[in-house]
Amino acid sequence: MLVLENLCKNYGKFVAVDNLSLQVNEGSIFGFVGPNGAGKTTTMKILATLLRPSSGRAWIAGEEVSSRPKQIRQLVGYMPDFFGVYDDLKVEEYLDFYSASYGIPMLQRKKIINELLELMDLSHKREAYVDSLSRGMKQRLCLARCLVHDPALLILDEPASGLDPRARVEVREILKELKAMGKTIIISSHILPELTEMCSHVGIIEAGKMVASGTVEQIVNRSQSTQVLEIRVLDQLEETRAVLQDLGYTAAIGERNTLEMPFTGDEREMHHILAALFAAGIPLVSFAESRNNLENIFMELTKGVVQ
Amino acid sequence: MKTLVLNPILGKEYRSRMRSWKSPLIISLYLGLLGLITLGYYWVQQKNIFYTGFGPDVGPQIYVLLTYFQLLLISFVTPALTAGAINGEKERQTFDLLVCTRLSAVSIVLNKLLASLAYIILLVIASLPVFGIVYFFGGVLLSDIGRVFMVYLVTAVSFGVIGIFCSSLFKRTQISMVVSYLLILFLLVGTIILTAFIQGIQSSPYQSSTAAFISYLNPMIALASIFPNQGQNLGIINDILRLGVAMPNSLNQTTLSPWAYNFIINAVMAVILLLIAIIRIDPVGRFSWLRRSGSQQNKVVATEGPDRSGMKGDIIEDEISS
Repeated sequence: MLVLENLCKNYGKFVAVDNLSLQVNEGSIFGFVGPNGAGKTTTMKILATLLRPSSGRAWIAGEEVSSRPKQIRQLVGYMPDFFGVYDDLKVEEYLDFYSASYGIPMLQRKKIINELLELMDLSHKREAYVDSLSRGMKQRLCLARCLVHDPALLILDEPASGLDPRARVEVREILKELKAMGKTIIISSHILPELTEMCSHVGIIEAGKMVASGTVEQIVNRSQSTQVLEIRVLDQLEETRAVLQDLGYTAAIGERNTLEMPFTGDEREMHHILAALFAAGIPLVSFAESRNNLENIFMELTKGVVQ
Repeated sequence: MKTLVLNPILGKEYRSRMRSWKSPLIISLYLGLLGLITLGYYWVQQKNIFYTGFGPDVGPQIYVLLTYFQLLLISFVTPALTAGAINGEKERQTFDLLVCTRLSAVSIVLNKLLASLAYIILLVIASLPVFGIVYFFGGVLLSDIGRVFMVYLVTAVSFGVIGIFCSSLFKRTQISMVVSYLLILFLLVGTIILTAFIQGIQSSPYQSSTAAFISYLNPMIALASIFPNQGQNLGIINDILRLGVAMPNSLNQTTLSPWAYNFIINAVMAVILLLIAIIRIDPVGRFSWLRRSGSQQNKVVATEGPDRSGMKGDIIEDEISS
């Protein structure tokens, strides 16, 4: 669906995107992760035909981005990281305006708008002024705006940033629905764990360069850093530690009946540990990789060049 | 033409403009000022009636006064409508969303201009009843009013284009507004001073073609050339306005009237400025290489946290120039 080939964008001496090559398959959700100023937004703007690359090329569904902007705009739904709304328009009018801007005939617009408002759970706000919506609702409305022309590729620049947890979950659910509808989605964030929950593939970018890309598992496996397993029990912390020690692991007792254990093995190995703990009658509450793992990998792969 | 008529920008601009409380306020102020000028002049004439009698040229005088005053009002209102057309979208952070639709840069610029012109036309049409008062006194032909309205239209287009051009050139609406008003002030006042100055240093009974050309940039001189024999009693102001008309020069000895020169100059200027504005707003268009290649517009240094919920304000627009 999307191919980037040695894409570069320079602003004078400043290199925003440096020889970026990438391939995203149809129907996948690709997470673009990197620190602030890494070049995510610039890459996305190039793909949305809002910037011309300095060199290199990009194709979306076989169409070259720079030379065929009109065709690309029909294929792409773009949601910027910062966006405003026409505060003097109502929700329905707002979507109607963008539908018309994408050349959708008037007779089809009403049906499309109804469907999108339903998908985004905004039907009850149809007559409300856009400016009166909450941040989460505006975000969903902007997502609806991206979809008015039924694009094959969605480019979403930090769609969940600044949202409260409930709104984040709502956005995530909508993205799942969009994936089920067969859309290819590129989504950026500077928080890796946030992306891994919903992405099939992830690319880590820093200082305009792609430092790692692939499935989440591939990136975790490629990483040199040790994972940490978090084992939470009701009690018997010392007994648990002894069982782990017998298996050859050293665990440290953390907060709230939790043991943290460095771990380098695979999933089969994890299963062995879990089975041994059960067999020893340990009252397990949870047994999982630490969320910090992904953050550690991110820190390891990115060197903090851009701050 | 189909795309122009049915363009969504046009519809949205109409809707937004007419929904705002500012519209009825501007129309009321506009008509109030025109009415005040008419009644004021009539009142002065009424006071003098005992000494001079009610002259037959009072009607044409009010008409001339009204047309000049309306031209000044149009000159004042037009940049306010257009100088924020493009950078207003950028400030509101809706520009990217608009540009990445299927609307072309040409369509965006032209429809923004058309939407503003429609409002000016509304103001001019709303002023027709005030002009109707002139008919009480007689002495004005309908064809005169038609030509005057042509000057209004040409002036609104060219001043509107100046506003759109500045709006595409500058990042902030306030700056484009100030520059637009300065350019318009030059066209209305600067050209008269410059013409008088060139004429003064030449001290010739014939006007140089340079001076004539500069004077023809002025829409008030174009207006004066439409009714050269009316409103003589308006004094020195009318004499100044008729600088380009009254004095013989190599340009006005030809078949073209000053207002025709004004139309041609404005048309050429409008086309050039519109083209620049279109190139400026098209991010990946055929002529995008003409834009500053070494600058990054809207480079966002993102800030995290709940403050972003406003979606406005905490964007740092940074330009990294080569």
